[in-house]
Amino acid sequence: MGVMDPSLAPPIPPGADQDAILRAVGDEITNRGFVIAKADKLFNWARSGSLWPMTFGLACCAVEMMHSAASRYDMDRYGMLFRPSPRQSDVMIVAGTLTNKMAPALRRVYDQMPEPRWVLSMGSCANGGGYYHYSYAVVRGCDRIVPVDVYVPGCPPTAEALIYGLLQLQKKIRRTATIARS
Amino acid sequence: MNENDLINEAGSTSESPLQLMADHLREIGQGIVLSSGIVHGEIELQVSAGAVAQLLLLVRDDRQAAFTQLIDLTAVDYPERKDRFDVVYQMLSMSSNMRLRIVATVSEGQTVPSVTGVFMAANWAEREVWDMFGIFFSGHPDLRRLLTDYGFEGHPLRKDFPLTGHVEVRYDDTQRRVINEPVHLVQEFRDFDFLSPWEGMHNELGGNAAKADPDKTAK
Amino acid sequence: MAEMQIKPITMNFGPQHPAAHGVLRLVLEMDGEVIERADPHIGLLHRGTEKLIEHKTYLQALPYFDRLDYVSPMNQEHAWALAIEKALGIEVPRRAQYIRVLYCEIGRILNHLLNLTTFAIDVGAMTPLLWGFEEREHLMGFYERACGARLHAAYFRPGGVHQDLPDDLLRDINNWTKTFPAFIQDMETLLSENRIFKQRTVDIGVISEEDALSLGMTGPCLRGSGVAWDLRKNQPYDAYDEMDFDIPIGKTGDCYARYLIRVEEMRQSLRIIEQAIANMPSGPVMAPDHKVTPPQRGEMKQSMEALIHHFKLYTEGFHVPEGESYTAVEAPKGEFGVFLVSDGTNKPYRCKIRAPGFYFMAAVDHLSRGHMLADSVAIIGSLDIVFGEIDR
Repeated sequence: MGVMDPSLAPPIPPGADQDAILRAVGDEITNRGFVIAKADKLFNWARSGSLWPMTFGLACCAVEMMHSAASRYDMDRYGMLFRPSPRQSDVMIVAGTLTNKMAPALRRVYDQMPEPRWVLSMGSCANGGGYYHYSYAVVRGCDRIVPVDVYVPGCPPTAEALIYGLLQLQKKIRRTATIARS
Repeated sequence: MNENDLINEAGSTSESPLQLMADHLREIGQGIVLSSGIVHGEIELQVSAGAVAQLLLLVRDDRQAAFTQLIDLTAVDYPERKDRFDVVYQMLSMSSNMRLRIVATVSEGQTVPSVTGVFMAANWAEREVWDMFGIFFSGHPDLRRLLTDYGFEGHPLRKDFPLTGHVEVRYDDTQRRVINEPVHLVQEFRDFDFLSPWEGMHNELGGNAAKADPDKTAK
Repeated sequence: MAEMQIKPITMNFGPQHPAAHGVLRLVLEMDGEVIERADPHIGLLHRGTEKLIEHKTYLQALPYFDRLDYVSPMNQEHAWALAIEKALGIEVPRRAQYIRVLYCEIGRILNHLLNLTTFAIDVGAMTPLLWGFEEREHLMGFYERACGARLHAAYFRPGGVHQDLPDDLLRDINNWTKTFPAFIQDMETLLSENRIFKQRTVDIGVISEEDALSLGMTGPCLRGSGVAWDLRKNQPYDAYDEMDFDIPIGKTGDCYARYLIRVEEMRQSLRIIEQAIANMPSGPVMAPDHKVTPPQRGEMKQSMEALIHHFKLYTEGFHVPEGESYTAVEAPKGEFGVFLVSDGTNKPYRCKIRAPGFYFMAAVDHLSRGHMLADSVAIIGSLDIVFGEIDR
C-alpha cells in the first residue's frame, strides 16, 4: 500500500481501480492511523509533484516560458508555480541567451537555490550558444556555468516543448531514488 | 513605391524641397559643412569632427530646418583609411518630414566633442560608440562602457576585433567562481570567401591541408 | 545635536527581478524611499548581433532581427527587408505588401498585449495577463500558420514574403477580429477606471514634449507627450498609405497616457487588419527577380537556370550595391531603424540597429528622479522595455 512507484507501474487512470486503491488507503488510515511508504519514494513523489521553477527569463524563450505558465498551457496543473525568489524554488529554467556579463549573476542565483535543485536549459542559445555561438559576448552553453539536467531544443521551444521537458524532469527526479542529491 | 523614392526621384531637380533644404543647411552651416549630397531621400552632410556639436545646435534651432530629434548616433570603421572612423548622426525633422545624416571623419585617438548638451539622447549613444569603437567624446558627463562585460578589453565593432572575441567564461569548481579564459573553439567560424573565384575559405578548419600552410592556421 | 548628513542608500535592483522585464540591473541611489539617481546597467543580454551580421550574408542576417524585439518579431524583419529593398531598388508585389501590413499589425497587437498585461502585473493586477495571453495564443497561431514558427518567423524576405498564406487563414483572422474588441473592452473595465491602477500610473513618469524629443523618444512614448508623429502616417512604407486609421495622441505624457495610447492603438491595428483582409489583392508574393528572391520549387525541377539561381542564392547570396542608407519603420515600441552600409559584397559592411527601447532605457534616470521606488517599476513597465533590442 502507499505511494505508487511510477517506474514500476503506469499511473492508474481515474475509475473503479483507482477508487479501490484510494479506499484501501483511506481504510488503512482510519483503522491504523498511518500508512507505510518508502521515505525516499515519498520524497521524490512530493518533489516531482510540486516543482517550483524560478522566473529566470533571459531572452526570447522567456516569452514562451510565460506562455507555458499562462492560461492555455497552465503549468499550475502539474503543481508548478513560478517563484520570483531563488530561495523558494527548486528548478531553474534558463530561458534564453546567456551572455558573459550575465553568467556570474546566473551562478549566484543558482548558488542561492536550496538543495535539491535542478536546472532546465531551454532553447538552443542556452543549450550551446545556438545562433549566437560565435559571438564574442555569449556563453556557449549554460552548462559551462551550472550543471544541467534537461535540455529542451528549439529556437525558441514552444510552450508545449517546455512542458514536455519539465515532465521529463519529473521522470528523472522519480528515478533518482535518493533523499539527498549530492 | 513609397515616399522616399518619390523624394529621391524629385531630388534630381534643384527645386525639390529636399534640395532646397540641403542648400539651406549648407548656407547656415557655412564654413563648417565640408560637402553635402542627397542619398536615398536623405540629406548627407560631411563635417569636421570638431564642429559637430556646433552644427547640431544650428540645425536644431534653425526655424526652417528644425531637426529636433537626434534619432541615432553611431560609427563605422574603415581600418584601411588614414582617418579610420566615420561618426554618423541621424537627425529627423518632424516639421519638414526630412531625414539628415551628418558624418564626421575621425582618426584613431582623436576626440569628438560630445553633443549631450544639445540632445539628451546622445548620452547613451556616445557611451555605446565609446564601448564599441573606442572613440572618445570630450565633455561627456559619464563616459563608461555600456554594453560589454564588466572588465571587457577591446572594442568589439572595430574590424580588427575577432568575431569570437578573446575570452570566454566558465565556472571553475575549485575556485568556486566564474572565470575568464582564452577562447577555445571546437570548430572555427566558417567564413567563406565568395569574392575571388579560386579561394574557398578565409580560415581553414584544420586537418592536413591546413597544416601544410602554417600562415593560414595562425588565426 | 549637530545636523547629520545622511548618505544616500545605494540599492541594487536586478539583474534577476520579476519586474525588470528581463535582465535589467538598476543601481538606485535612494534618499529614504525617494530615488535620487537611477543608473541602469544594461548589456546583460548583449549578444553582439551587429558584429554577427557583418559576418553573415544578407539573408542569413535576417533571423537576427526576429530575436531583437522578440515580442513583435516581424516588425523588425520589415525594417531589414525594406533596407535591402531600398539599396537594391526592388519593387515588392502588392499582395506581399498587404501581407506585410497585416502581419505588422498583428505584431503590434502581440506587443501591446504583452506590454499592457505585464505592466498591469507590475502594478498589481493579475487577471489581464491571463486573458491577454489567450489572445496572444490565437495570434501566435496565425504566425505559425503563415510561416511555421510561433515566434521567430523569418517570414518577411527581401522582395516580398517567403510563402503565400494558406487557405482559410484570412477568414480565420477575420473571425478573430470580430471577437477581439470584446477582450479590449474587458481589459479596459479591469484597468482604465480602476482606482489602484490609476493611482499607480496617473502623473507618474511625466515626460514633457521638449524632453521627449531631446531624449530620442519615439512611438507611443512620444505620442503620449502630445507629439503627433507616426511613421506609418508621416513616411508611409509598403501599403500603409492605402489604409485608413487614426493615430491616438496623449496629453499628459504620464504612464497612464501611454497605457491609453496602446489600448487605442490595438483598436486601430484591428481596423488596419480588417482593411488589409478586405482589400487583399491576389498575385505573387515575391518579386520575380531571381537574383534576389528564390525561384519556385516546381520551376527548379524543370529549369537549369532556376536551379543555379537557387544554389547561388543560398550559398553566396546576393550582392548589394555600395552605399549607405537609413530605413525606419514604426515598430510597436517606436522608430526601429536600420543604418546599412554596404560595400558591394554579399555581406553588410556595417549594420547599425536603432532600437527604440535603447533610448527609453536611457531616459529611465531622467524619469524616475524624485519618484518613489515603487514608481520606478510602473515607469519601466509603461516604457515598454524589451532587452533583446536594447542590448542587441
